Amino acid sequence: MRKSLIWTAALVCLVGSAAWAGDTIKIPVASPFTGPLASFGEGVKNGALLKAEEINAAGGINGKKVEILLEDELCDPKEAANVATKLAGDKDVVVVVGHLCSSASLAAAPIYKDAKLPAISPASTNPNLCKSSPYYFRNVYKDDFQGAFLARYVDEALGWKKIAIFYETNDYSIGLKNAFVAEAKKRGLRILGEEAYTSDTTDFTPQLSKFKMMKPDAIFIPGYAPQGTLIVSQAAKLGMKVGFFGADGLDDDVMLKNKDAEGLFVTTPFLPDAAGPEAQGFIKAYKAKYGVEPNWFAANTYDAVGLAAEAIAKVGLDRQKVRDYLASLNSPDKAYKGVTGATYFDENGDCLKAAFIKEIRGGKWVSAKKQLQ
Amino acid sequence: MGIREFLEEHPRAAVGAVAAIALILPWLPLGEASGYVTRVATLTMVYMALALGLNIVPGFTGLLDLGYVGFYGIGAYTAGLLTIHYGLSYWVILPLAAMNGALWGILLGAPTLRLTGDYFAIVTFGFAELVGLVIRNELWLTRGPMGIPGIAAPSIFGHVLSKEWEFFYLMLAILVFVVILVRRVENSRLGRAWFAIREDEIAAEACGINIIRYKILAFAVSASIGALAGSFYARWFRFIHPDMFKFWESILVLCLVVLGGMGSVVGVMLGALVMIPMTEILRVGLGAFVDWAGSAGFTWISPDLVNARYLIFGLILVLMMRFRPEGLFPAVRVRGEMHPGSERERDDEDESFYEARTDHEKEPLG
Amino acid sequence: MDLQNLFDMSSLFLQQLVNGLTVGGVYALIAVGYTMVYGVIELINFAHGEIYMFGAFITFHLITVYKVPFFVAALVAVATCAVIGILLDIVAYRPLRNAPRLAALITAIGMSIFFQNVALIKWGAQIKSYPLEALPPFFSDVAVRIGDVQVTWLQVFILATTLLLMFALHTIIHRTKVGAAMRAIAQDKRAAALMGINVNRVISFTFALGSSLGAVAGILVGVFYNAIWPTMGYIAGIKAFAAAVLGGIGSVPGAMLGGVVLGVAEVFGAGYLSSQYRDGIAYAVMILVIVFKPSGLLGKAMIQKV
Repeated sequence: MRKSLIWTAALVCLVGSAAWAGDTIKIPVASPFTGPLASFGEGVKNGALLKAEEINAAGGINGKKVEILLEDELCDPKEAANVATKLAGDKDVVVVVGHLCSSASLAAAPIYKDAKLPAISPASTNPNLCKSSPYYFRNVYKDDFQGAFLARYVDEALGWKKIAIFYETNDYSIGLKNAFVAEAKKRGLRILGEEAYTSDTTDFTPQLSKFKMMKPDAIFIPGYAPQGTLIVSQAAKLGMKVGFFGADGLDDDVMLKNKDAEGLFVTTPFLPDAAGPEAQGFIKAYKAKYGVEPNWFAANTYDAVGLAAEAIAKVGLDRQKVRDYLASLNSPDKAYKGVTGATYFDENGDCLKAAFIKEIRGGKWVSAKKQLQ
Repeated sequence: MGIREFLEEHPRAAVGAVAAIALILPWLPLGEASGYVTRVATLTMVYMALALGLNIVPGFTGLLDLGYVGFYGIGAYTAGLLTIHYGLSYWVILPLAAMNGALWGILLGAPTLRLTGDYFAIVTFGFAELVGLVIRNELWLTRGPMGIPGIAAPSIFGHVLSKEWEFFYLMLAILVFVVILVRRVENSRLGRAWFAIREDEIAAEACGINIIRYKILAFAVSASIGALAGSFYARWFRFIHPDMFKFWESILVLCLVVLGGMGSVVGVMLGALVMIPMTEILRVGLGAFVDWAGSAGFTWISPDLVNARYLIFGLILVLMMRFRPEGLFPAVRVRGEMHPGSERERDDEDESFYEARTDHEKEPLG
Repeated sequence: MDLQNLFDMSSLFLQQLVNGLTVGGVYALIAVGYTMVYGVIELINFAHGEIYMFGAFITFHLITVYKVPFFVAALVAVATCAVIGILLDIVAYRPLRNAPRLAALITAIGMSIFFQNVALIKWGAQIKSYPLEALPPFFSDVAVRIGDVQVTWLQVFILATTLLLMFALHTIIHRTKVGAAMRAIAQDKRAAALMGINVNRVISFTFALGSSLGAVAGILVGVFYNAIWPTMGYIAGIKAFAAAVLGGIGSVPGAMLGGVVLGVAEVFGAGYLSSQYRDGIAYAVMILVIVFKPSGLLGKAMIQKV
C-alpha cells in the first residue's frame, strides 16, 4: 500500500505546516516575492516586517505577538487563487494584507468573499476591485483617479499636447489608459496613437518606429517597470527624442539603472520628501533597517498592516467583526492615521488618497518641481 | 512488496483501496488543512482527467500531442463565457464544452493527422500557442490578460456548490465518467482499431481500417475530455486567465502520462496521483527551505529555488525516456490481469510502441 | 496624401525593414542549428533555444561578476555553449539513438525544461540587461541616417556578424572534410559509417557548430534589446524552428532564407497589422507550411505521407 503511504506523507506534511499555530496573531501578506515582479514585493515585505517589529516591540496586539506570513503568489492569478484558498481555510487568519497586482486581487476576491475573510490591498488600483466584494478594501487610490490626475498634470504642469500611448493588456494598464484618455480628450490633448503589448514582449521597436513618425511630445506608458525600461531604451536606440511618463507601476528602482530613463515622470502615492511629520519616524526607521528610502509599496504595506493590527486590537480575532470595523472607518474623523496620510473607506471599500509626481533626475528619484493639489 | 507487483496481483483490491480513500478523503480528520487537502485532491483529479484524455493520442495512436492545453483552455473559456454571458447551468455547459473541444480537435486533426511524429507534435504545439494568443488578445471576447473573474459556481437542484468537498465529489463523478468512457472505448471496435493502427499502420490499413478517420476520432475524443476538464476547472476556480493555459501545462500533463505509462489507464492516473500532490509538497517544502536559507544566512541560495520543481519535471521526462520508457505502471501487465483473455505480451508492445525511426529519403545538408 | 506624409510612410517602411532584417538575421543563426541537427540525427532539438539563452546569460555573468571585457566574455560563452551542446548530445540524445522517435523528442523537451529552470534558479526570473558601460561604446552610435531612418552600428554589427558566420558555415559544410562527412551522414548514416566516418564525432561537431551559432545569436539579441531572461530561448527557439521549417528542414540555405523572411514578416506584421499577434505570425506560417508545403521553400519533400 505504498500509495496510501505517499498520501499519508503528503497529508502529514500539509497538516504539519499548517498546524504550528502558537500564541501569535497571524497576518498574511500576499504579494509576489519571487518572479519578474519580485522587486515590488521587496518593498511590501520590508514595510510589513518593519510594522510587525514595531508592534511587537510595543507589546504586540493585546499581549500577543504579530507574525507576518509572507505568501508568494508571483503576481500570477492562478497562484493567487491557491494562496487565497489556503488562507481562507486557515481559521487563525482573520484579515489578509494583499494582493499587490490587480489581476491577483481580482482572482482572490471571490474566494475571500465566500470565506467572509476581509482583505486590504496596499497596491491594487483596478477600479472594479472593491466594488466586487464587501470584504475587499484598499489603502491606495484607484486607476481612474490616477489616470485622470496624470492627464491633468501633463496638460497643466508639463504642457505636452500630443501623446502616444503604449499600454500592456491587463486590468491595471487598460484601466489607467482609459481614464487618462477620457480626461485628456476633455482637455483637448491629442492622442496620436495607442499600441498594446503583452507582458512577455521584449521587442518594442516596430511600434516605437510607428510612434516615431507621428512625432508625439511624449509617450505614456501605463505599465510596469520591466517593460517600461525596455521601451525607454529601445526608443533611445531609434533616436527618438520624446518625453516619457507613467504611473506607479514604473515606480521601481530598475528604472534608475537606465540612463535613457532620465526625465521620466511617474505618479506615486507616497513621496518621502512630501510626506507629513508622522512619516518621518517611519522613513528614518526604514532607512536604518534596510539602508534605502522606503518606496510607496513599503509605505502602503506598512499602513495596511497597521490598519489590520488596529482592527484586530479593537474587535478581536473575528473575520466578520474585522470587516465591519474596517467598513466603519468611513469618514475623515474616523480615519486610520498612517504614514501615507488618513485612510478611510467609501461604501465600496475604496479610499481617497493624494497622488504625487516624481521624476528621475541625475539617476535618482526626486519629487517633481510642480505638484498639483 | 513493490507497488507494481501489488497492482499485478491485486488489481481490483488496489483500485478499490484508492477509490475508498478517495471517497472518504474530505472527511479524514485533518483539522484546518482539510479544505486545502481536499482542494489538492480535486486538482489531482482534474489532472487525472487531462492525463486520460491526452493519453489517447500518444498512448493509443502513437502520435505526440504537444498542444493539449489548447483544448483544456477552449473548454475552460467556453464554460466561463457561457456562464457569465448567458448564465447557463453547468449541466448544459458540460456537453457544450466537450463538443466545442471535439470540434476544434476535428478542425485541427483533419489536415494534420496525416503527418508523422515530429511534425504532428510541432503543429499541435503551434495550435496551442495560437489558442493562447487569441485568448490573450481578443479582449472583447475573453478580456485577455485581465482574465474572467466572477464565474458562478455550479449548482445541483438549486443548491450552489461552495464547499471544497462539494467540488471534490463533482470532479470525482466527472472523473468516473471519463474513466468509464475511456475503458468502454478501449474495448470497443474503435479502441481495437486504434491499437491496430498503433501496432502496424500499414497492416491496419490493409485490413480495411480508415486510418485518418480513426485518428481524427481519437483526437476528437481526446480533445473533448480536455475541454471537459477545462469546463470544470473554470466553474471551480471561478476565475480564468490566459496564464493558466500556457505551454507548461501541456508539458505537465505529458509528464504525468510518461511517468505513469503511455497507453495505460491506471498508469496515467497513478502518475497524476504521485505528481500533483508532489508539486504542492515541493512548493511548500522548497518555500520553507528558501525562507530558512534566507534567515540562516545562506545568501547564495536564490529565492528562485522555489521554481526548482519545474526542473524536476524536466528531469523526470529525460530519465524516464532513458531508463523506463514504458512508464512506472505500464499498460499491459495490469491490463492483462484485468482481462485474462487478452493475449498481448508486454515485450511485443514495447517493440512496436511507436514507429521506429526509419531512414527515408532525406535532403542532403548544404 | 501630401508629400510629407508619403515621405514619413516610406521612411517608416525602411525603418521597419532594417528592424526586420536585424531580427531575421538572428532567427537565421538559430535556425541553422535546428536544421543541421535535424539533418544528421532527425531530431527536433527543443533544447537548442536554451543554448541560445545560455549564450546570453554566460556572457552576462562573465561581464557582471568577473568584469571580463565584452568580446572576451562573448567568445568564452560561445565556446562554453559549444561544449554544452556536445554534452547535451552525449548525455541525453546518444543513448536514445536507436530508440523510438517519440522517446528522443520527449527527452529533448525534458532537457529544454531542465535548462530553462537551471537558468531560472541561477539567475532569477527578472529581466536582466548588460551594463551599458561594459558594452563597446560604438554600438549605440548611429552608422547611417537617412531622414528619420537610422541604423546603429550595433545593427550593422549584427547583420555583418550574421553574414560572416553564414559564409563561414557554408564553407565548412562544402569545403572541408568534416562538412563532407556531415553531408554524408545526413544522407545515410549507416553507409557513412561503413565508409569509415566516425559518426558520433561528426554529430558532436554538428552540435558544437549549431550551439555556437545559437550562442552568438543569444548574445546579439541580448545586446540589441538590452534584455535577457531565462525563458527567452523558448519563444525564440520555436520561431527559429518555424524559420527552419519555412526554409525546408534539413536545408541550411533554407534555414537562412526562412529566418530572414520570418523576421521581416514578423516586424511588418507587428508594425502594420497587429503587434499582439506578432508571435502568431511565426506559428501560423509554421502550421501552414507543414500542412500545405512540408518541403518548405528550399527543401525536398520528406514527410512520409500515409
